[in-house]
Amino acid sequence: MSILKFSKTHEWAKIDNNTAVIGISDYAQHSLGDIVFIEVPKVKDKVKAGSQFGTIESTKAASELYSPLSGEVIEINKDLINNPQWVNESPLERGWMIKIKIENNSEVNNLLDEAAYKDFVAKESH
Amino acid sequence: MDNRLIFEKSDEGRKSNYVKKPAIELKEPGQILPANLLREALPLPSLGELEVVRHYTNLSKLNFSLDTNFYPLGSCTMKYNPKINEELSSLEGFLNIHPFQSEACLSGALELIYNLEALLSEITGMKRFSFQASSGAQGELTGMLMIRKYHKVMKNKKRKVIVPDSSHGTNPATSSMCGYETVVVESNPDGLIDLDKLSKVVDGETAAIMLTNPNTLGLFEENILEVADIIHKNGGLLYYDGANFNALLGITTPRLMGFDVIHLNLHKTFSTPHGCGGPGAGAVGVVDRLTDFLPAPVIDKKKDKFYFNYKIKHSIGKVRAFYGNFSVLVRAYVYLLRLGREGLLRVSQNAVLNANYIREKLKNDYNVASNKPSMHEVVFSCTRQKEKGVPALDIAKRLIDYGMHPPTMYFPLIVKEALMVEPTETESRKTLDYFIDCMLKINREIEQNAQTLHDAPHTTPVKRVDEVRAARNPDLRWRFSAK
Amino acid sequence: MPYILNTENDTGEMLRAAGLKSLSDLYSHLPSKIKISGEPNIPSGLSEQETGQFVKGLAEKNKILNSFNSFLGAGVYNHYIPSALKPLISRAEFLTAYTPYQAECSQGILQAIYEYQSYICLLTGMDVSNASLFDAGSSLSESVLMSLRITKRSKVVISSAINPEYKKTLYTYLSGFNFKIQEIDFNKDGATDIDLLREALDDNTACFALQSPSFFGIIEDTEKFSSLAKEKSALTILVANPMSLALLKEPANCGIDIVCGDGQVLGGSLSLGGPSFGFLATKNEYLRQMPGRIVGKSVDREGKPAYCLTLQAREQHIKREKATSNICSNQSLNAIQSAIYLSLMGKAGLRDCALYSLNLAHYLYEKLKEIDKVKLNFSRNFFNEFIWQADNGKNIVKKLYKEKIIAGLSLDGVSPKLKNGILSCCTETKTKEQIDSFIETLRNILG
Repeated sequence: MSILKFSKTHEWAKIDNNTAVIGISDYAQHSLGDIVFIEVPKVKDKVKAGSQFGTIESTKAASELYSPLSGEVIEINKDLINNPQWVNESPLERGWMIKIKIENNSEVNNLLDEAAYKDFVAKESH
Repeated sequence: MDNRLIFEKSDEGRKSNYVKKPAIELKEPGQILPANLLREALPLPSLGELEVVRHYTNLSKLNFSLDTNFYPLGSCTMKYNPKINEELSSLEGFLNIHPFQSEACLSGALELIYNLEALLSEITGMKRFSFQASSGAQGELTGMLMIRKYHKVMKNKKRKVIVPDSSHGTNPATSSMCGYETVVVESNPDGLIDLDKLSKVVDGETAAIMLTNPNTLGLFEENILEVADIIHKNGGLLYYDGANFNALLGITTPRLMGFDVIHLNLHKTFSTPHGCGGPGAGAVGVVDRLTDFLPAPVIDKKKDKFYFNYKIKHSIGKVRAFYGNFSVLVRAYVYLLRLGREGLLRVSQNAVLNANYIREKLKNDYNVASNKPSMHEVVFSCTRQKEKGVPALDIAKRLIDYGMHPPTMYFPLIVKEALMVEPTETESRKTLDYFIDCMLKINREIEQNAQTLHDAPHTTPVKRVDEVRAARNPDLRWRFSAK
Repeated sequence: MPYILNTENDTGEMLRAAGLKSLSDLYSHLPSKIKISGEPNIPSGLSEQETGQFVKGLAEKNKILNSFNSFLGAGVYNHYIPSALKPLISRAEFLTAYTPYQAECSQGILQAIYEYQSYICLLTGMDVSNASLFDAGSSLSESVLMSLRITKRSKVVISSAINPEYKKTLYTYLSGFNFKIQEIDFNKDGATDIDLLREALDDNTACFALQSPSFFGIIEDTEKFSSLAKEKSALTILVANPMSLALLKEPANCGIDIVCGDGQVLGGSLSLGGPSFGFLATKNEYLRQMPGRIVGKSVDREGKPAYCLTLQAREQHIKREKATSNICSNQSLNAIQSAIYLSLMGKAGLRDCALYSLNLAHYLYEKLKEIDKVKLNFSRNFFNEFIWQADNGKNIVKKLYKEKIIAGLSLDGVSPKLKNGILSCCTETKTKEQIDSFIETLRNILG
């Protein structure tokens, strides 16, 4: 059973034992608008919690992607590169970006669960 | 209309015979140069002159332009571009001169630049100017690199540059290109610099603040002298982005406001044409203590003779080859000769009057972004329209149907649903009234037929363009194979 | 008052509408300390007639290049400009239009720029081009900055045979950062010394930048340089003369990663060196690191082909301090002018210009070779200009000038190795008679 967590920079992590799949939240894709370009690291690259792991662009905005957790990239969503609209259409499923091997499980505690993230977004968008 | 690309109109074998065949024995490239340096084919089209003339004439007719349409485009100062500017800048004596000719051959050009510098110095209170920069942004780069070098020579440890959140994007981008960290200071609810917030971020490591005044909300920074004081006390300098100087010609000078380095957009305030986005010119002016850092050369005069002076103690070097966009300088100079001292004030006063007239006539129907008095431009916040389902974008696009170029949209970033309107002084009251009527009509259309606005413009050669598709699948050039 | 349409009556009514009494009320909220007292100390305005007379007087003080038998080049070239070019590019709908952010009322501009981008790609063989930069100096600088972003390295190696004006610009553009720039000297043939490059390249080298034809006119063997750079995963940047590309191998086929340069040769006047435009073309993989505006082809809501500015998320108005460059205004009109020029000249016309320039320059070279006191030490692989040397070169240039001949650019001061050097250029505008007359006068001077 995987658990879904969110960061305050609007990325999500679906955590399954020692691995996590990472993407951006529905709120994030909505505020960016139509996504036109995504840049993610290569397999075997290291990502660090709170640090930039890629970039995402819409026609009106460009934004950094910050990793919710530290670890090594074990898979990337190759098809997404040519289908950036999936981030808009299905941010939590087809719009996933990278899968990492979690380096430090305790970092999970720094993330928000879905309800807490919803509260956070409600406050931020106000 | 035949809207094919020029390449698709090509027919092999056409040739217009423009250049004279030399009276020497002609060799093929392969007889002169090694084959490995040469190309095999030259994939260019072959066209007849009439085809080319028709093609580009017809393309030109698809555009709005200042000579055909009103451009209430904020921060861009789309004022009339006088025809005498064009005639005089096209004189053979200005076009057929080479930058490596001797100073004696170029005396008229040097004199013109020298005279232009004197006029701008008087208008701005700056000591000296450099004309190398080809645009406002390149002017910013020039000025900020001078500030950087100044601090280096003075052994000041500086790390950051402050910009308000209402600033032009070029300001933070320039700061980054100079290796500085950008610190953004939030504006107060009126849209002006918040002195308390500013004081908190300014310290000994502050290299400079970059400001536009009037700012991008079209408001005069009333506390400019206090801002200057805070920055100067911490050993920082004030950079003036002159994009909005049209509001202040003859009223005040950047010098009096406390600025140390400035750029003027000659293609805005000084009437040179925008040419689809360039060439412009960024004239960079400095106060006394920064003249040693100007790009080399400057033009000086010794016994009636003008010359390029490369002896600038701490010069930052060059920001472009040769001496800048000379033809643009000629135009700005001609404009200033025409205006003269009495004209300057009339320009700024009428620019501000026109903006305030529009504000008054539209303020009941469109929210004004700030309660502070407007200068040469007024920013509306179309939130009431947006609540009814019509964003600023639709209003802007609908104006095209009424024959007017949209105002600057969604800028400054701190105003929701922003439409930034700068009428300039060269428009007549009738034109302003027409714009006002159309804006009011559009506001009524929101109630009557919002779909008309969502679908606007209706009268243009194409409807709204799919920008998402353009960015997702970039098609940036034509290829022969695509034929 | 020129250019202001508000009458006194209008002004009065508009002030009343705004609840104001006088024009000075518009500025009543400005601190009085900063207001100018009285009028600025500049002359009174002139009538159009007077302005014309005065400015024409200044223009006449210049001695135009065409009044000499000139062999001056060195970055700005006197090429023939077809008569149809000026009326087209002077059309108000190009000249007085704004940046085409509003695509629906700017389709002509956008298509013309798309055609420009295509032309640059066709000439260079590269995948993509931007919509122009300011000049060769800024386009070289932006190319180098691009390579630093792409490789995330911090050392820049450049050929010393790049035009000094462009080099100076590059040094200034990079002065805000701690990047190391190393210059590679030229060898006895005047070509960039490949052995020195081999020594200079290391794992921290972002790029090697060279010019071909170089400042000395020499066509460099760019393939050798690019393959050497590739060994260290450094990019190769080429400053190219687009006119020469009518004959020379496409940079894309020489392993070049970024091509930049000046477009003045494509229909631009001399104008004291500006405005011209800078071009920049690169490979698809580096597209998002390319600075400046870019036009793309798309469709409108009804599916009709339509153009718009695209990939704007790279630019300063969106990305602010994280933008690829601060550039906003570029040199659109000059870029469109070059597209019209290339369309008028066409494949055969452009090739003629380049071929005639090549032939005339080599004819001049052969004629100079016949003069004993003239030294021609450098490679014969040049395009339209080359360096020759003679004792007291600077003095010879002065004497020729008295005979209304501008022999070229005197290179004293550029490098000790180039003392007494003169850089002479021929374009298709030169004639055999002019070259022969130059040679005859030179013979007389040299005695």
